[in-house]
Amino acid sequence: MNARRTDWQDLLFGLFLIAVAGIALAATRTLSGGTAADMGPGYMPRAIAIMLLAFGLWFSIRGLRRPFVGIAPVRLQPLLAITASVAVFALSATRFGLALSSFAAILIASLATREARPIETLLFALGLSAAAVLLFVKALALPVPIWPGAWF
Amino acid sequence: MELFDNLLIGLTTALQPNNLLFCLIGVVIGTAIGVLPGIGPIPAIALLLPFTFGLSPPSAMIMLAGIFYGAQYGGSTTAILVNVPGETSSVVTCLDGHEMAKQGKAGTALAIAAIASFFAGTVATVVIAVLSLPLAALAMKFTAVEYFSLLVLGLIAAVVLAHGSVAKSLAMVLLGILLGLVGIDVNSGAPRMTFGIAEISDGLDFVPVAMGMFGLGEIIANLERPAMMRVVSQSIRSLIPSRADLRAAFPAMVRGTVLGSVLGVLPGGGAALPPFSSYALEKKLARDPSRFGKGAIEGVAGPEAANNAGAQTSFIPLLTLGIPANALMALMIGALMMQGIQPGPQIMREQPQLVWGVIASMWVGNLMLLVINLPLIGVWVSMLKIPYRLLFPAIVLFCCIGTFGIANNLFNVWLMLGCALLGYFFIKVGVEPAPLLLGLVLGPQLEENFRRAMLLADGDFSVFLRRPISATLLALVAVLFLLMVFPAIRRSRQEALAE
Repeated sequence: MNARRTDWQDLLFGLFLIAVAGIALAATRTLSGGTAADMGPGYMPRAIAIMLLAFGLWFSIRGLRRPFVGIAPVRLQPLLAITASVAVFALSATRFGLALSSFAAILIASLATREARPIETLLFALGLSAAAVLLFVKALALPVPIWPGAWF
Repeated sequence: MELFDNLLIGLTTALQPNNLLFCLIGVVIGTAIGVLPGIGPIPAIALLLPFTFGLSPPSAMIMLAGIFYGAQYGGSTTAILVNVPGETSSVVTCLDGHEMAKQGKAGTALAIAAIASFFAGTVATVVIAVLSLPLAALAMKFTAVEYFSLLVLGLIAAVVLAHGSVAKSLAMVLLGILLGLVGIDVNSGAPRMTFGIAEISDGLDFVPVAMGMFGLGEIIANLERPAMMRVVSQSIRSLIPSRADLRAAFPAMVRGTVLGSVLGVLPGGGAALPPFSSYALEKKLARDPSRFGKGAIEGVAGPEAANNAGAQTSFIPLLTLGIPANALMALMIGALMMQGIQPGPQIMREQPQLVWGVIASMWVGNLMLLVINLPLIGVWVSMLKIPYRLLFPAIVLFCCIGTFGIANNLFNVWLMLGCALLGYFFIKVGVEPAPLLLGLVLGPQLEENFRRAMLLADGDFSVFLRRPISATLLALVAVLFLLMVFPAIRRSRQEALAE
């Protein structure tokens, strides 16, 4: 183990690029490439993917050889709270209406920080979701239900 | 005088009551965003894009441009009062501006910053008007060959002159181009990399990508850092600078404006480069450089002027050539495309009201900022007191509703979430996401022009070197690469970009 020698930032970015290039090459393998004078739909994506692959390999190898650079530790609380908040909004907005889904999204997002104060957050979520409904549905006519089951 | 005719067209467009209103809305929103830390102009403009669809193209662009330069104003206000730069471009203003505030001269610093910005904005408006015509005339000679080379130059220059590792930024540009190719190929009708998802057959929408990477990804990363205590203690006594202050600031203002106007035109030079260079210049020219960092008024006036001049002249490549100088300008291009206007050299001839209206509105908007901002300073200061714990859930919600609003489609919300996680990953591995956005917006054009050029030249790659304009553009690309290889120049670039 040569733990003091790996630049994790370079290595992870390199591996990520290799993965993207691999996915792109796999997704375009059935498309015709054509010739330079008469390019098919697969020509450019494949050319770009190969360049990305080269970059990815280069970063990975460079990362392995460079002195140690770590990744700042990931804190799960903000990551999960924000992700969950957006996901809940996406799942519920058209089904349960903008009012409830906005309220839920704000409450869940607030869990991202330990500084949140329960009562303040609750009042803020109430006020903000009301404001969102007024602004987006009433004023800007966004076609989304306000309450569950009621489209108008 | 074609120039005056054009400015007249612009002024009549900009002074229409509804456009004045949108300009005002734009600069007020922009200032608010500049004041609030944690939300930059990129997610803000992305957020508001869907709501500009109903407007006429000039009104939409006038408002979006107003947000952009309004944010620069707001950013310097927080820099001076609380030593927190609202935007990267106002990092330098913190140095001497906040020092002046500590000495009880907050009002003077704010006034000088506003006057310098207004002065620079006025000059830059004229610079844009003068430079646009010859550039657009040149661009009319462009065929697909020249246009491809120009796009390459634009992308490479944006990467080299912006901050961050050049190799990583290049990789990000390529990644952006690849993402830009997703969707149905216009020439053959074949779906590419859509994975059977109907929503992306028209290509990935750049608004959710921008909001996810610049808005949400940034929030997640911000929340990991310990909360900062911001104290606004300075009371603002007099907003009117003394004559001695003005005399000391004026030459710096002029130098900053010139420097900013030149650097702003360069791709990638939009945000950080002008104020940093201006600060370095003022320090070098000063009789007593030790005053800098201790409240030197030139250290506020020069960079603020450079900042605003640069922000405005970065519209030149966008309006004349259809090339965005930075990620923000890429969003503007996206806004144009959503309005059904293909950006490029023809835009000046076909849409004079749009182009000149936006140019004239910048001057009008700068005047508005000067008039509304100084009296309203108390309002902005009180906005600073909004705690981040309330701010970020609101941003998350508005991002969700905004992305939904683009096409009334929840797929975009999921796309934004994916891009947020991707953006968070990029922050963790220390990669700038801005080049990706440039690639995403320019990718389809790049491919289209490349294919057309190759078709015309029958697959002969040397055509890019045989055409004189194209060869010159590519030679510039080569020069940029050489500059990056030379260690001495690389070092000075790092010094210029270091804080």
